[in-house]
Amino acid sequence: MESPSSSKQPDAFDLLGLPARFDLDGDVIERAFYARSKELHPDRFASAPAAERVVALSRSRALNDAYQTLKKPVGRAEYLLERVGVSIGENERLDPVTIMAVLEMREELAEARAAKAVAKIEMLQADMQQRRARDLVELDRLFASADLDGIKRLLIGLRYVDRYLEECDAALDADED
Amino acid sequence: MLLQISEPGEATIKEACKQRVIGIDLGTTNSLVAWVTDGAPVVIGEDPIVPSVVYYGPDNTILVGREAAKRGLDSPRETLASVKRLIGRNLSDVEGVRNLLPYELVGDDRAVRVVVGGREVSPVEVSAEILKALKLRAEAALGGTIEGVVITVPAYFDDAQRQATRDAGRLAGLEVMRLMAEPTAAAVAYGLDKGSQGTYAVFDLGGGTFDISILKLVDGVFEVKATGGDSALGGDDLDRSIATAVVGTLAHGSDLAHRKHVAAVVAEARRVKEALTLAETALYKIQGAERQISRADLREYAKPLLDRCAKACRRVLKDAELTKDQLDGVILVGGSTRSPVVREFVAELFGRQPLSDLDPDQVVALGAAVQADVLGGGEQQVTLLDVIPLSLGVEMMGGIVEKLIHRNTTIPSGATQTFATYADNQTGFVIHVVQGERETADACRSLATFTLKGVPPMIAGMARVEITFLVDADGLLKVMAKELTTGIETSIEVKPSYGLTDEEVERMLTESFDFAETDLAMRNLLTERVEGDRILNATRGAFASDAASADHLLDDDVRAAGVVAMQDLERAMAGEDHFKIRAMVEALDLATKPFAQKRMNRAVEAQLHGLTLEEAESQVSH
Repeated sequence: MESPSSSKQPDAFDLLGLPARFDLDGDVIERAFYARSKELHPDRFASAPAAERVVALSRSRALNDAYQTLKKPVGRAEYLLERVGVSIGENERLDPVTIMAVLEMREELAEARAAKAVAKIEMLQADMQQRRARDLVELDRLFASADLDGIKRLLIGLRYVDRYLEECDAALDADED
Repeated sequence: MLLQISEPGEATIKEACKQRVIGIDLGTTNSLVAWVTDGAPVVIGEDPIVPSVVYYGPDNTILVGREAAKRGLDSPRETLASVKRLIGRNLSDVEGVRNLLPYELVGDDRAVRVVVGGREVSPVEVSAEILKALKLRAEAALGGTIEGVVITVPAYFDDAQRQATRDAGRLAGLEVMRLMAEPTAAAVAYGLDKGSQGTYAVFDLGGGTFDISILKLVDGVFEVKATGGDSALGGDDLDRSIATAVVGTLAHGSDLAHRKHVAAVVAEARRVKEALTLAETALYKIQGAERQISRADLREYAKPLLDRCAKACRRVLKDAELTKDQLDGVILVGGSTRSPVVREFVAELFGRQPLSDLDPDQVVALGAAVQADVLGGGEQQVTLLDVIPLSLGVEMMGGIVEKLIHRNTTIPSGATQTFATYADNQTGFVIHVVQGERETADACRSLATFTLKGVPPMIAGMARVEITFLVDADGLLKVMAKELTTGIETSIEVKPSYGLTDEEVERMLTESFDFAETDLAMRNLLTERVEGDRILNATRGAFASDAASADHLLDDDVRAAGVVAMQDLERAMAGEDHFKIRAMVEALDLATKPFAQKRMNRAVEAQLHGLTLEEAESQVSH
C-alpha cells in the first residue's frame, strides 16, 4: 500500500510557498493556503477553454491535498520524514514497555464501555488527550534536534494514541444512541 | 456598432452583455431562484417562494408550485411534495418515510420511483419539473435565456444525491455550473451582506434535511472547516411527530391513522406548528375532533429530532477542532429555524443568541446567486473552499472499508492507492466504491461496483492495481483503476450509479424535446426583446451625449430616421413576433449607421492621441 504523496507529486511545501519545516504556525499555513487558493481555484477559470480548466482543476487538487497533508502537526511530521526517505508502514511495532501500557489502557476502555460508564470513558479520553498534547510538544523538540529515530518512534506511538481516541469517541457515540 | 463605444449608458450595456446566470435553492418544501443585479443578490418574483410540489393531472397536465400545492388535499396521490427526500435514493433508503408520504413508491435496490396517474416517474424527473418552473420564472424576469445555474444541495448529500440533482438540472435544460452546499451558500450571503469575518457555525434546518457547517471567513475566502448533518431530518419530521402524537389522543384517532388521511393530518400539524411561531397555544382541528397544543407540547414532540441535531453539532465542532466558545457567531438558515422552539434550542446548545438578520428562507438562494455571478464572470471576489461531507473508499477483503478520501477534505481533491491481488491467478479485480464513515462496506452507502478485467494471472499479491479517486468542485466522484505490474495499462472510468443510467437521462431528454418547440419560441422572443432593449438604450445614450457635446456628429436627418426606427422597434417589442423584433433591430442599426461610423472614427482618432472618448468630447466642448 503506497502513500498518495509518492515521488511524482510536486512538493507540498512548495505548493503552499512555505519552508519545509515542522514548526509552522497553523495560521501561517492557513493564510498561505488562502492566498494560493485565490489564484488557483477552479472558479477563477470557469470561463477558460476546456484544456485550461482541466489543468486548473488538477493544480487546485494538488494544492488542496498539500494543505490536507500539512495542516495538522502529525501529517506534517510524517510528510517531512517521507521527504528524507523514512516511511512509517502499516504494521510498525511499538517497544514492549509502551505496548504493555497501551494494552492496559485499552482493556480499561473496553471494561468501561461494557459497563456503560460514561464518566470513566471521558476520563480515559481526557488522559489520552493530555498525553497527545505532551507528545506534540516532544515532537517539536525532536525536530529541533533532528532526531529522526526519535521522531519515527513518537509518530508510531501517536498512531496508537489516535486510534485509542477514535475508540473513545465511538464508545461515547454508541452510548448516545 | 454603437456597442463598441461604451460611454453613456455603460452600466446598462454591461448588464446586457453579462451572462444571464442564476442561483437556485431547490428545497424539500420550497424552492427559490435569485440573481445578482447592480452588484447585489436578489430573489426573483413578487412572491419568491415556490412550493416544491408537482401535480400530475389527467391529460398530462403538470402544475408546479402554489397551483400544485392546492391540489394536495383533494388529490394526494397525484400531488408530489418532498421528493427531495427521495432523490438519489433506493427503496430501502426511504423505508422510513414511505408510509408517511401520501403517494405511492415503487423501485428496487437501485432507485425509487413514484407511481402517479398509472405511470412511474423518477424523483429526478419530478425535481426537473420544479427546476423548469424556476427557469421560466427567471427567464421572464431577466428577459432572456438562462445561460448557467448554481443549484444548492444539502452539505450532507452523498455522491448519489448530488449526481441525481445535477441530472435533474440537465433534464430541465439548465447548464449546471456548480452544485453548492446550502450552508456554504448561506455563509456567502451573510459574509457579503454583513462584511462578517471570523469563524461561524451555520445551522440549517430545512423541510427535510439538516446541515451543520463550520466556516472561516477571511477576505473573500470562505473555507468550510467541517460539515455534518442528516440528509433525512427536517421540519417535515416535526410535522409528522406532531401528527402522530396528536392523532393518537383524538376520539377518531384510529380512523385518522389510515393512509388516505395522512396528507390532511400532517397538513394540519404543519399549520399548528407554524401558528405556534407567534402564539403560545394553537388548536389542532380535524374532522370534528380538536386538541389544544402548547409550545411546551411542541418542545416535547421536537426533542428527539433536536437531540439528533445536537449530536451532529457536537461532532462537527470536534471535527473542526473547535469549541463553541471559539465561534464568532451562529447563523440560522432554513424555514424550520423560524420556530421559537428551534431557536431556543440553538441558543442553549451554542451558548449564544443565533443570527437571523437575513431571511432564513431566502439566504441560500442569495448565496447561490453570488456564486453563479462569480462563475458567470461577474465582479464578486469570492473564493469558496468547500469539503466532502462523507469519506470515500473501497471495500477490501472481508468487507472492511479502506478510505481513500476522508470526510472534511477540501474539494477538488484526489487520492491514489495501490492494491494487490488476493488469490492466485486472479484475472479480475472487483472494485466496490462506498461512501460513509462506518468501518464495514455494508454499513456504508454503496456507490458503484465495477470489475477491472485483464489482470495477468500471477500468484496472489503479485499483480497490483492502482485505484485513483478524483472529486471535483461539485463534490462528485470519478474512479479510475489501472493494472500496474506488467506495464499493460487497463483503465476504466466509472460514474457512480445512483439509479439513473446515462442512457435513461438521454432518453428523458429526447422525450422532453416534444415540449421543446413551445419553450424555444418563448426563448427566441425573450432573447430578441433583450437585444432590442440593449440597442434602444445604447442609441438613446449616444444621441443624448451627442446633444450635450459642442461638436455634433449627428445629422438632423439621421436623428429623425433613428427616432422613427426606435418607435418601430418599441412597437415590435410589445408584440410576440421575434422575427419582427429582429428585423426592427436591424433597421435601427442601419438607420443610425452614418452616426455610428462618425463616432467610431472619433474614438479611433482620440485613441491615436491617447485620449478616451470622454476626454476627446470634453476637449471639443470646451
